Amino acid sequence: MTVVSSLFRELSFLLRQRAIAGLLVLALLLSSLSISTGLTEIAHQRAAIERMVLADKADRENAMAKAEDWGGAAYSSFHLTYLPPSDLAFAALGQRDLSPWKHRVNLLALEGQIHAADTANPELALAGRIDFAFIVSVLAPLLVILLLHDLRAGERAAGRHDLLIATAGRSGGLWPMRASALVATLAVCLLLPFWVGAALAGTQLAKVLAVSLLVCVHLLFWAAVSYWAGARAAAGSVILTGLVGFWLLLTAILPAITRVSIERAISIPAGGDIVLTQREVVNDAWDLPKNVTMEAFVARHPEWENEAQIDRPFEWKWYYAFQQVGDQSAETLSTSYRQGILERDRAASLAAFVSPPVLIDRTLQGLAGTDTRAALAYETTVRDFHARLRTWLYPKLFLEEPFDRAALSDLPAYQPLVVDE
Amino acid sequence: MRTILLVAADEWRFWRRSRLAMLALGLLLVLVAASATLTALRVANEAEARALLQSEAEETYRSQPDRHPHRMVHYGHYVFRTPPPLAMIDPGVDPVTGQSIFLEGHRQNAAMFADAKTGATAGQLADMSPAVVLSLFAPLLLIAMGYSVMTRERENGTLGPLLAQGVSPLTLIAGKGLALASVAGLTLLPLVLTAAVAISKGETLAATAVFLGSFSLYLLVWCALIIAVSSLSARRASSLTILVVVWILLVLIVPRIAANVAASVAPAQGKIEADFAVLNELRSMGDGHNAADPAFEQLKANLLLQYDVASVEDLPVNFRGIVAETAEADLTAVLNRFAEERMATEVRQVSLLRSFGWISPALALREASMTSAGTGVEAHHKFLRDAEAVRFDFVQGLNRVHAEQLAYADDIKRSSDPEAERRTRVSSENWKVLEDFHFVPPPSDTRVEGALAPLARLGAWFALLFGLVLFSARGLKL
Repeated sequence: MTVVSSLFRELSFLLRQRAIAGLLVLALLLSSLSISTGLTEIAHQRAAIERMVLADKADRENAMAKAEDWGGAAYSSFHLTYLPPSDLAFAALGQRDLSPWKHRVNLLALEGQIHAADTANPELALAGRIDFAFIVSVLAPLLVILLLHDLRAGERAAGRHDLLIATAGRSGGLWPMRASALVATLAVCLLLPFWVGAALAGTQLAKVLAVSLLVCVHLLFWAAVSYWAGARAAAGSVILTGLVGFWLLLTAILPAITRVSIERAISIPAGGDIVLTQREVVNDAWDLPKNVTMEAFVARHPEWENEAQIDRPFEWKWYYAFQQVGDQSAETLSTSYRQGILERDRAASLAAFVSPPVLIDRTLQGLAGTDTRAALAYETTVRDFHARLRTWLYPKLFLEEPFDRAALSDLPAYQPLVVDE
Repeated sequence: MRTILLVAADEWRFWRRSRLAMLALGLLLVLVAASATLTALRVANEAEARALLQSEAEETYRSQPDRHPHRMVHYGHYVFRTPPPLAMIDPGVDPVTGQSIFLEGHRQNAAMFADAKTGATAGQLADMSPAVVLSLFAPLLLIAMGYSVMTRERENGTLGPLLAQGVSPLTLIAGKGLALASVAGLTLLPLVLTAAVAISKGETLAATAVFLGSFSLYLLVWCALIIAVSSLSARRASSLTILVVVWILLVLIVPRIAANVAASVAPAQGKIEADFAVLNELRSMGDGHNAADPAFEQLKANLLLQYDVASVEDLPVNFRGIVAETAEADLTAVLNRFAEERMATEVRQVSLLRSFGWISPALALREASMTSAGTGVEAHHKFLRDAEAVRFDFVQGLNRVHAEQLAYADDIKRSSDPEAERRTRVSSENWKVLEDFHFVPPPSDTRVEGALAPLARLGAWFALLFGLVLFSARGLKL
């Protein structure tokens, strides 16, 4: 109990210093701001998804009502796909500003559709968002540094240092006590708004605990560094300069270096080549003998070998066959494009161990399902869905089933990825 | 004047003896130089690669075989946004916007392939162009070197003797200011060199001058702020703490708050959602693929009257081509209206964001530099409009060919009669009329003009802080 009571004694003493109280209030304010804007943004996204799901259904039904054959129905009906935000996304908006989390696709070649980027205003994306992950990874270290760097130097400058040591009894107890009191209060100031936000968003307890733990560990790291630096017999301003320099190194310079080196080491095919390849194959098909296209198609779908004869200048099954062959031709490029992104991400996750702020940021995005992996996993669900649509359509075309508008209601429906397991 | 130079030289002597100051200066100079080199190389590579893709796209379009012209409408074309010369220093929105657009009939596609999506995510400050290094981190260097310029003299007790020797407070401050400004000038050196390269690549002198001028003014704002805080603070420690907190607020926090505010005050729909409204409106219009669509009855009647014939078969032009042309024009009018609305929303958001430049000089600088470099949202909008102009031109050119070079009788039988289908293929000579596309940012005059508002914000900051410095000088009487 004496530890707790002396913690409170030190705290009440420290809070009487305006600068310290001011920094703690700033932490509380900025954290609250980040949480409230994060919640608003996610609410916006959810509302947009809700509106789009309705509009998508209405538009598709409208298109289908006018359709007169299977091929035409598939051509004119688009399907909304999306990645719903998780229950923690409000705390780490992550890549949702940069990577598309919604696509509307039809049964034409997918490679021509999936690379479209329906992203937010680029200049806003460039300015960045003040999400909780930013507060915790970038700002919190600076606050720790500002709070702890002149614990001793400040007292030394005020001429109280030796007196304090003498009256505190054990000289080892006083400074750790003050530092702990400050860091614990800072942790509460940062986490309190997060806990409220998590309660409002219904975040799983395990995630809340994990984030809280991460925040504390990160604060402790910077507290240890600041405490160690603060123990040197130098002027407070010199210590502060050094610490801010160290922060700059870990938060900006090292990450920038790793980013540039990773992007140079792991090359990714030019996106333009994927769509150009796909387009050439799709369009060349019109001028090629039809059996060339159908052979390439049957190689992938041997089950339709006996139905692959095309007699008329235009048949839907040939049309969708060359759409599929277009995708097949771009497959290698497209796979290595995604593979490259994944490899870069993997390298970045290893490199993150040299920089705690980056590690925290990436871990939060990972927990929130707003990282590169989640974006790629979403893309996979779109590809799978497109494949299911094709599987639904092909029998209708190749077996020449008579058109039945009512059967259109059996079209596969998109199942969004459940990010909150 | 001599005294001012002496004071400045003395400050430099102090810095040269301080290992910390020299380390910080060296680090930042290496950072600016490295980032300038890497960014310049990357942007030059990108420019070359995209120009190559552009000419390849034009080449393949022009070398397509004889075809039905409407096939070429769907074959489509690609345009690429090549970065302007000053993007070597400030790439602006380039990495977060798609760099190519697929142009085809009946649709306005979104730009594809943003670099940021393929990048290795390494925290929130890993993107370091020279512009970012200068706007975010150069102020930190100036703070590290300058926080004690005045407080040191006061704390060491050298201020009194200096003033007693007849050095006026203003001369002292001017000397210290000159020393600090010379540090700022040093960090700008790599930028000046890169800007010279940009001029050699065709950038105008005026835009480059405004571009560099905005960086200089921004750093001068920081010099003034540092001197003011340093003169007004009693102790070194408090002067440094205040400056670091101010830096955090002005550089890290306010720009992001501004982005949050802009996004929530002027919310924008995504393209997919906005497109539902477009689809709704288009549904009431005729489908240009279907000449029998009742929406074209009036057009048909007018044509029959104009050429004084009884049926579409007797028209001297291909009715299907005319329908395609009319439908495309009507549809494009709708698409453009929605596209302009979307861009207007983005401009509203951005001007809201930029108005925070009154509060954060870092935001004002970003606006000035992106606008003068032609890498801001306006330049991207120009790319979208230019791309749309190319799209409309080539599609309507093909529709004209469709109307004038194809027999209606063949056209309606081409899906069932292979011979008629063969006759509907027009000569590939028609594809050769496609014009070369090379994206250029808004003209230099427009960019310079656009940069005046943010420059005025920086100017206001400087004037305010200069006043504060003069005010603080009065307090230096001892």
